[in-house]
Amino acid sequence: MSQESQDMQTTADHIKKSDVRTTVAVTPRKAPADTPADEACECAVIRSENFCLYYGSKTGVKNITMDIYPCSVTAIIGPSGCGKSTFLRSINRMNDLIPHVRTEGRLEVDGHHIYDKRTNLVNLRQQVGMVFQKPNPFPKSIFDNVAYGPRLQGIRRKDELQHIVEQSLRGGALWEEVKDDLNKSALALSGGQQQRLCIARALATRPRVLLMDEPCSALDPIATAKIEDLMGQLQGTYTIVIVTHNMQQAARVSERAAFFCLGELIEYDYTSRIFSNPKKKETEDYVTGRFG
Amino acid sequence: MNLKIRGKLDQVFTAATGLSVVLLMLILVAILGPMLYRGGNAVFFQGTVEFRKMQRDLFRRADDTTLNAEIARTEEFRRQVYAMIDEFKKGVDVEALSDEVRELHRRFGEELRAKDVPSEQYSQLRGLTRDIRDNLETAFTKRDVGEIRPLVEAALQHAENPAFKGTSAEQFFRIARSFLATAEKVDLNHQREYAAALRDVEGILFHTQDLPGLLGPRPDEPQPLLVMLRYGTTRWDQARRLLDRFFWVEEWVEGNPGQPLVMRRTARAELFPESFRPLFSYVRDNAEKMLEPRFTAYWQFFLDDNVNSHYFGGVGPEILGTLFITVVGMLFVIPLGVVSAAYLVECAPDGQVIRIIRMCINTLAGVPSIVFGLFGLAFFVLFLFPLLGFEPKPCILAASMTLAVLTLPVMIRASEEAIRAVPRSYREGSLALGSSRFHTFVSVTLPAALPGILTGVILSLSRIAGETAPILFTGAVSMGDVPRSVFDPTRTLSYGSYDMAVGDRLAMMVPHNQYGMVVTLVLLILILNTVAIVLRTRVFKKLRGQ
Ligand SMILES: Nc1ncnc2c1ncn2[C@@H]1O[C@H](COP(=O)(O)OP(=O)(O)O)[C@@H](O)[C@H]1O
Ligand SMILES: [Mg+2]
Repeated sequence: MSQESQDMQTTADHIKKSDVRTTVAVTPRKAPADTPADEACECAVIRSENFCLYYGSKTGVKNITMDIYPCSVTAIIGPSGCGKSTFLRSINRMNDLIPHVRTEGRLEVDGHHIYDKRTNLVNLRQQVGMVFQKPNPFPKSIFDNVAYGPRLQGIRRKDELQHIVEQSLRGGALWEEVKDDLNKSALALSGGQQQRLCIARALATRPRVLLMDEPCSALDPIATAKIEDLMGQLQGTYTIVIVTHNMQQAARVSERAAFFCLGELIEYDYTSRIFSNPKKKETEDYVTGRFG
Repeated sequence: MNLKIRGKLDQVFTAATGLSVVLLMLILVAILGPMLYRGGNAVFFQGTVEFRKMQRDLFRRADDTTLNAEIARTEEFRRQVYAMIDEFKKGVDVEALSDEVRELHRRFGEELRAKDVPSEQYSQLRGLTRDIRDNLETAFTKRDVGEIRPLVEAALQHAENPAFKGTSAEQFFRIARSFLATAEKVDLNHQREYAAALRDVEGILFHTQDLPGLLGPRPDEPQPLLVMLRYGTTRWDQARRLLDRFFWVEEWVEGNPGQPLVMRRTARAELFPESFRPLFSYVRDNAEKMLEPRFTAYWQFFLDDNVNSHYFGGVGPEILGTLFITVVGMLFVIPLGVVSAAYLVECAPDGQVIRIIRMCINTLAGVPSIVFGLFGLAFFVLFLFPLLGFEPKPCILAASMTLAVLTLPVMIRASEEAIRAVPRSYREGSLALGSSRFHTFVSVTLPAALPGILTGVILSLSRIAGETAPILFTGAVSMGDVPRSVFDPTRTLSYGSYDMAVGDRLAMMVPHNQYGMVVTLVLLILILNTVAIVLRTRVFKKLRGQ
């Protein structure tokens, strides 16, 4: 048992003793696990140990130590500029594109240190899909958008591609809406549809992990609700990490939540506990709206 | 109050922008209008029968029966002109007359010998014609009718001699009579001036040594060697200019002392004696009947080769050469420009290096085009070609490469803007799916940047098709065959326009062809651009999903 899960267990004990606070007017989607055994059987997919990332001399995130568990939704919350995106993008090494970026510590996905020299970036990124804040479908047809990843994997056969595209679009809850015009440009879709297309596109490479960086912040409430529903459906199959600064959303969709502040991980626990009974003062200030 | 002023300002602004648009259109019309009109003259004009003859002979394009009828009709009216000139010539061109009588005397001797007349009679008749000849020749040298008449009459007294019937000697009397008739009407003191003036008239009506005339060569004279001299004016507008020269003599004379020279126009008819003047009124009345101008749409202008450095014919090979050079040039510019732009945006490290590269590109864009021409000659033709084992001579390849270097800055800058304008999120999305940077560029960034890149293509296309100086030494010629490969030099519209503009006075005689070539170039670029713009719009629409 890692240091982290022990921490969690103590937090769990702590919460039982204290009274449940209802500062955030939402009902947590999941009750916290009751027994330590429950947690022991879960083995982390993403495991970060003292991970630091620097933009040149500037710190993006530092000393992040946390485990992210499979087949659940983990939310990262915190005020803007606190390094949520930085950490999320570290998980599939999207920060590599930025010049002068330097990392320290370990960041494992499936037990492999991804900042290792031998890491196959293509494999990593297909294992760890990503959905961005602004929907970013390519200016191609819907079909080509979804088939982009599989084609990269070397799949060329038309029927196979068709099958994958259909599965992925169903996975992205978009199939019924677009099945008749797969050859239409993706840019002709509405914003919410575009975002679901981006999710479908990420699913098409059959990833284990899905990273979502504020996926709903550019969408209207109805489209947001659809995406949140979708996350509910996906969490059985995929490990989802979502960055959001909408706390209601975090409470609605996530099982666990991590609170970041000024590049550091302040608190990481079951979402219900983060909102009802935070251990740290900063967390409490943030979730009660006194700060951030 | 404040709001009122703001409203007024808005109105003024709207008015000003509207006005400037209108102004721009007017300027465009003012520039393009006359040029299009003059260039249009190359295709649409009043073509004369000479044009149709020329088309039949040089381009095998005619309706033979109608054309023959036309030629017959026009010849009918022209014959009168020939007759009037011949008649007058008899009186004034004494050297020609002397030659003729001498020739007659000789020919008559031959005829006698052929007939085997007895020697006695032979010498008697020969003596007679000798006398006639001598009398006439003396008469030709005289200026005074009083002196001429007895001499001519002395010759004419033999006119009834039966021995001369049906022989060349009869000609003597015809010449003698017409000379006497002329001498009685014309002041022979001006003979020499008349002869010179007549030569001018003949030059204008038929042709001179090197310039074509109104009607073309007379049917009874040998065909001139120069093709353009074989036809009269093929176009009615040209004919009108020549007619003006025919009726009027222009000379620069001194006006008031110290003032610039002034042009004086005098009627050419006044240079001639009364007896010859009917020619002028005849030509004035019958010019159209002698040429039969008719509206002509000469579409083949865009296909035909030219004859005698664009005196006749069209610009077909020039169009072909321009297209050839443009296409080969674009084959160099587009990949080079896009790859360079891609390097600048996607790969180049920020800082000093890129600043220097960008400065070089900007400088390159400002270099005068003639410098590129010399560079192309020195580098591609004289240095690179021998190195690669090609013959070091100007050719399409060298010209296209030079033009490519010339327009590279434009292409790079347009592509750079376009690639830079592709949202980062596209790139991130592709990379997050596991794509490599190269594949991302090729499959996502490049297609998204295509409209902007096509803008660069449009800009460089116009430049490549229109530039003259860079191909001056690297691949353009004013005459020559249609190129078969990129290793041949070629004619182009741009260089052809330049060549005609600085060329000989021939070009000045065919301004329609000069403007026609320029307008063809403008149209060609317009068409190429339209194609590119349509393409860009379609790509754009497709990307936008419309
Ligand atoms: N490309 C970059 N270069 C330098 N600094 C950056 C870059 N991206 C983000 N940062 C800095 O890193 C910190 C964390 O940013 P980010 O992870 O985007 O915050 P957020 O929690 O709002 O997503 C911020 O202070 C930001 O200024
Ligand atoms: Mg962010």
